[in-house]
Amino acid sequence: MLKRTLFIFLLLICSCSLAFAELSKGDLTIAGYLKDEFSLGLKTFNEVSKFKNILQLSGEYKFSDQSVFFTSAKYWYDSVYDLREKYDAARHYMGHIQRTDWLRDCYLDYTSGPWFLRLGKQQVAWGQADGITILDRVNPADLTEYWLPDAVDLRIPLWMANINYSPKLNSNLQLLIIPDFEQSTAAPPGAPFAFRSYKLFMDFKDFWEGPPIPFIKPNYGVLNTNIYYPAKQFKNSKFGVQWQDRIGDWDYTLNYLYGYDYLARTYSDGSGYRFGIPYPTITLNYSRRFKLVQMAGGSLNHTFTEEGLLKGVTLRGDAAVYLNEPTYYGNAATGRSEGVNRWNNVFWLIGLDKSVVTNWVASFQFAQYIMEHSKPGGGYQTLNSYTNGAQDAVENIFSLKISTDFLHERLKPEILWSCTDDNQGRISPKATYEINDNLWFTLGIHYFYGKEVDSNGQFRDVSQFYTQIKYTF
Amino acid sequence: MKRVVLLLAGIMLTWSYLSAAELEYFQVYKPKEGMSADEIMQIKYFNKYTLFAHDMSMTGRAYFIDKSGATRERSTARKRINLGRKSDGIAYKDLTIFTGPTQVKGLCSLVWTYLNAKKEQEVWLWLPSLKKIRKVSQSASDDSFLGGDFSVEDITTRRFEDETYKIVKEENFPGYTSDFMKKTYYKDTPCFVIEATPKRANWYYAKRLIWIDKNYGVNIYEEKYDANGKKFMTLLRGHEIYNVDGKEYPMQMYLEGKDLRSGHITEIINETVKIDQGLSEDEFTEAALSRSRW
Repeated sequence: MLKRTLFIFLLLICSCSLAFAELSKGDLTIAGYLKDEFSLGLKTFNEVSKFKNILQLSGEYKFSDQSVFFTSAKYWYDSVYDLREKYDAARHYMGHIQRTDWLRDCYLDYTSGPWFLRLGKQQVAWGQADGITILDRVNPADLTEYWLPDAVDLRIPLWMANINYSPKLNSNLQLLIIPDFEQSTAAPPGAPFAFRSYKLFMDFKDFWEGPPIPFIKPNYGVLNTNIYYPAKQFKNSKFGVQWQDRIGDWDYTLNYLYGYDYLARTYSDGSGYRFGIPYPTITLNYSRRFKLVQMAGGSLNHTFTEEGLLKGVTLRGDAAVYLNEPTYYGNAATGRSEGVNRWNNVFWLIGLDKSVVTNWVASFQFAQYIMEHSKPGGGYQTLNSYTNGAQDAVENIFSLKISTDFLHERLKPEILWSCTDDNQGRISPKATYEINDNLWFTLGIHYFYGKEVDSNGQFRDVSQFYTQIKYTF
Repeated sequence: MKRVVLLLAGIMLTWSYLSAAELEYFQVYKPKEGMSADEIMQIKYFNKYTLFAHDMSMTGRAYFIDKSGATRERSTARKRINLGRKSDGIAYKDLTIFTGPTQVKGLCSLVWTYLNAKKEQEVWLWLPSLKKIRKVSQSASDDSFLGGDFSVEDITTRRFEDETYKIVKEENFPGYTSDFMKKTYYKDTPCFVIEATPKRANWYYAKRLIWIDKNYGVNIYEEKYDANGKKFMTLLRGHEIYNVDGKEYPMQMYLEGKDLRSGHITEIINETVKIDQGLSEDEFTEAALSRSRW
């Protein structure tokens, strides 16, 4: 198996390099990479949790100075789902790329005076935050590996019309019309980064559909789950508007997004009873539905360039209010959701960046996620949608990243520490080394800590050591 | 990220900060006999930052060669528009895009430089790994430029006001032979030799000796010395004269930096230069940067 994989990749390297040499002429540019990602559990150091090989090819063709076509495609295969039986339950979904996810970009750019159009499959990033999606919600997110991949790989591209008009220098009005719909994805139970809430639900399904247990579950059970996607009609498109401008030395944006949330929420649709001897059968019906939500907010950034204490500091910030955001409530102790409230929640962030000494850069972020109500009522608690643990009414989030370089920038170490005020978080040191222009090696650790009911703490047993080797062409 | 910050201001070899010189934009200045060291250096900075032109674009390659001979390469495409605009204080705007190798392809920086020499540059980056723009601070002046042998200030941020100057002598430059380019530069070119001393205490160099071409007022060669008076760095700046509408524009086309302590060498070669082609300022905005594809 490994020999065959190696052979295929060597073949790909050769053919792609030749294609690149031939095609990168004139108005056509082709580039791409092959990458191997390997990770090993930190707990025992004998638990391989990823052995993923990725091929990405990108191409750009310039029809004229006004029109450019760009596309990129990606394929990956994770052999760990062949090698480890414990991941069998997730293999169908995590072992290889799904459906049309291979097409990462496919759009046409057209520029004419103050107008700029980008039509096709693409991703759009709003906001200034790093690693925290406050305004960056135009595209759904692929969370099958939690928030660990680069943002470019986390966003799920959508077909859309991205229409821009610049009425004056340094300003831009952007209108997004997104008839396409994809839901945000999560890893299924069995995969290393399956969310606790997902696992709890599937555990309950197994329990309910299992045989009767005297005094505990005196019945046969059926648990139906239906998912209802928004109907494929233009009226169900997502719409977004961004106004971008500058006041003095301050850049700002105003943002508005309206459409179906990419994350489905689970609702109970009642139950059915069928008489039986010796045990009855009880059917529980659940549905997963997407709800219309609105987001309004803005961002700013500013570098202090004048003499003074703050000289050299870059300040950035995002703020958003999510109107009618579906918010789970239930019993945090059992991890059972009882329903969904629709609240107006607020998320804001401030970030500071500075080159501290010569080639050392520090980046600090503080964010707050504020629920509209501190208590959902009925003796229930608001639930964290990742874990079904208790969600604080105000969640304080911090992150600090320090990076530098050595050996004429061939070696680039950095460390990221992100945490909340619940004593849970993630520490991720890594170092990337440039072996040559086309070969890069990365070594790092993702160390999670906290309680099982916390967003990061739920992965404390899958902390990992990882390597990546990337060949570009 | 840091590397990113560096390249920002820029790979644009020849480009950086406007000195305090009160020289008028879009004119051509040359040194004259009898000028003071300050006057000569004002012309030198004016030319270094190409303030004689309205705009320009060029492609370029940078090579980083270590003692063993191992070589890394970066290629870029750059644009600049000179404004010298007093209403908002903007001197010029630069856009630099990495075109290779693939690992850094698409990385792009937008840098605005102000007339006020005490004001730092504004820098925006397009980061392909995020597919978004990040505003960042100007790099530290003593940091290495892209990991090479030039410092950030050698390329982009050193200002006329950062040093004091005196004329040491006038001589014909003995010539500089580049092993990389297999060529000898500036042999017997008449020069002013100027000693530049940094105003900052405990800076990474104690003085520079700079050879200024008497004909065009450009810095063709320099040597850096440490606090013990030991030479630790040599920098060659090779120019070509472009004739545009009857005016002679001296453009930096080739730079070679040698670290005499480590043996590391940096080569920067500019290609396909276009001058005064009527670039629009709309190409130097955050919105334009966000249209990057790679």
